[in-house]
Amino acid sequence: MMYDYFNNLVTGIESTLVAHPEKKSHRKAYALEIARLGRRLYTEDERIAWCGVLAPFDVLNAMSVTSCFVEFVGAMLASTGMVPDFLQEAETRGFAPDTCGYHRAVMGATYKDLMPKPDFCIATSAPCAGGMGVMENIARHFNKKLYVLNIPQEATEESVRYLADQYQEMTDFVTQHTGRPLDREKLREAVTLSNEATAIMEEAYRLAQHVPSPANGKDLANFGVVMALLLGTPAAVEVARAYRDAFAARIERGEAGVPGEKVRLLWIQNRVQFKNEILDLLETENQAAIVCDELNAITWDPIDPDDPFPGIARRAISIPLNGTVKRRVKNLQKMALEHKIHGAVNPCHWGCRQGTGARGMVAEGLKQVGVPVLNLEVDCVDTRNYAPGQIRTRLEAFIEMLTA
Amino acid sequence: MNEKRPAIGFTCAYTPLAVLEAAGFSGHRVLPTGGQWPDQAGRILHDNLCPHVKKVLDRALCNDLPELAGMVFMNSCDAMRRLYDAWIQVRPGEPALILDLPPMVTDRAIAFFAREVERMARSLGEWNNVEVTDDALAQSIGKYNQVADLFARVRVRAAEGTLSGGAPRLQELYNDASSQPFSETIARLEKVLTEAHGADPAAGGVQVFLFGNVLPDPGAVDLFTQCGARVVGDDFCTGSRLFAPLEVRDGEKPALALARSILNNPPCARTFDPEKPLALAQDLLERARACGAQGVIGHVLKFCDPYLARLPVVRETFKQAGMPLLLLEGDCSLGSIGQQRTRIEAFVEMLR
Ligand code: SF4
Ligand code: SF4
Repeated sequence: MMYDYFNNLVTGIESTLVAHPEKKSHRKAYALEIARLGRRLYTEDERIAWCGVLAPFDVLNAMSVTSCFVEFVGAMLASTGMVPDFLQEAETRGFAPDTCGYHRAVMGATYKDLMPKPDFCIATSAPCAGGMGVMENIARHFNKKLYVLNIPQEATEESVRYLADQYQEMTDFVTQHTGRPLDREKLREAVTLSNEATAIMEEAYRLAQHVPSPANGKDLANFGVVMALLLGTPAAVEVARAYRDAFAARIERGEAGVPGEKVRLLWIQNRVQFKNEILDLLETENQAAIVCDELNAITWDPIDPDDPFPGIARRAISIPLNGTVKRRVKNLQKMALEHKIHGAVNPCHWGCRQGTGARGMVAEGLKQVGVPVLNLEVDCVDTRNYAPGQIRTRLEAFIEMLTA
Repeated sequence: MNEKRPAIGFTCAYTPLAVLEAAGFSGHRVLPTGGQWPDQAGRILHDNLCPHVKKVLDRALCNDLPELAGMVFMNSCDAMRRLYDAWIQVRPGEPALILDLPPMVTDRAIAFFAREVERMARSLGEWNNVEVTDDALAQSIGKYNQVADLFARVRVRAAEGTLSGGAPRLQELYNDASSQPFSETIARLEKVLTEAHGADPAAGGVQVFLFGNVLPDPGAVDLFTQCGARVVGDDFCTGSRLFAPLEVRDGEKPALALARSILNNPPCARTFDPEKPLALAQDLLERARACGAQGVIGHVLKFCDPYLARLPVVRETFKQAGMPLLLLEGDCSLGSIGQQRTRIEAFVEMLR
């Protein structure tokens, strides 16, 4: 069923692009690669690894492992409208509705046999404790070996070495399951491709800073998080390039991502993954453009292809959801200033302790640089408690306040 | 005679308490119980964070704390690291430290945690203007182990029903021990052990094993007794996990011994062995059986992800093993556990 779903998606996009080359767009390039990844995940004979969010996907790609963080499945089920049954299944099996919806959805999918059986699992201690718990459950359910990457909170010389050593050990673990040793040359190429992709993504984000911004909420949704899965492959470079070129062309044409842009917004952490009217309300009705997402930031330096593990370790440690809130806030302040932001929206995803636990401190930090924050109370995955009327009222009041 | 030492606050059972003493401090566990504080922490954190963490922050916001020379936090879960973030914001300028704590037990993780323990020793040494030597640390580990050993003996008394005051008294002893120098605890426990065998208020009760995270109120433990249960063992971070013996191997650096022992001691749900996913469930079952429990009561705090993610398998494992299990959720307060009285009574009744 899932194979067919992704296969139809891939062939649909591919045939549209053949029949109508003028329809080629950055967003299509992105969607196509995601669909291809989905199809690989459900293809027999692939080596599959279910992972935590911060697994080094470029290393796994270099080792020909089709890998994905499990939360991707939660987001996918939400976006296709199928999620309630899976959440219900997880809850029936004892997963509290108070836990993160991404995780509940993925556990539901596991119980309902929707998750392809992995060859092995790789958990990551960041961004969240809930993610670790789910990986432990998945490894047990499939009776597969689990490798745990402990991502330290700060990038000291020692902690970087600690994580770099774990990556080295992880590659041995992968080899044990695939029979394929790490090919240093392939890793070199993968890291070079990662560097190239992230440099181009950075350019795209810089272009998004333009006033009016060539970017809009749809362009940027989930982009940085999902691109991590493609790192180390030519596809990542292609998609990043498509984004950069599309933004550059819009600027060139004097075209805004949101026509008539009046308000510039920063989106904090996760997007709401299911079909909703937030973007329409903000961008079409109120010309309030989401011009950057917190999770789209490139917070690390280029990685040395000849000695990649320390650089990859620094990358994992640097992501905004790891480490202290102080560091996270600094990052957000920088983003807000660079993108000339008027206001920020924090969806406060129910069940995400690490994210919502920073709510007050994030709001305070952004206030210090003159950016008010709207805290929404929403579960980004669980459609069942979604209250569109309430969200509309809050967003409208916020925009009104920003434009007053 | 009371030993006067400046106190360092801590909030997690994984805190290497021996380091505090070696640096000339004593530990003071900031418990989420005691006062009635207005609920303010939810505004800084979020209402969906664990009540343990929120109540500790509320105490800080209300200045309901003893004089503390600093705080040591552990990166044991998301809520805890957010507590550290909030703490340094609401109490700026006061010494505070957070230690990274690996979630898994491997040699590499132990070595990393040992370096964190050394960092803690250096920082605390600076806070108190002393050098924390290996000798001081080794001595402090020795004292800690004395406490652990005495508690093991007091636990035996409690389990066999000869500790006067029973399980609620044991809880009082844990709470006191987490907020006073080791030497005072040693004197206190030695005295307890010389007491004549007292009457256990729970004598004749149904034998239950308790597990969970934070349940420090002796009144809560007493409630189980009132409901007809006799607590024969526990696995709480405000209970038996707080003073678990530290193993020091010959020639081993004290920081490494601390790290290895702390990570290897009976874990809370946040720590696990990747080779045996969800072994926590089986471990709890075996421990319950080992102390002759007829049933098990789990009490976990609302919004505690480490436990919430593991409870489905705990439930399944116990069911398959035919071990009766009652799972309760609460907010650390006596009030919240009091509301569950009928369920506890019914469970105990069923076990009779
Ligand atoms: S939303 Fe939060 S709890 Fe859920 S997967 Fe992401 S970081 Fe973890
Ligand atoms: S009770 Fe759970 S969430 Fe709260 S501090 Fe302990 S482990 Fe963390």
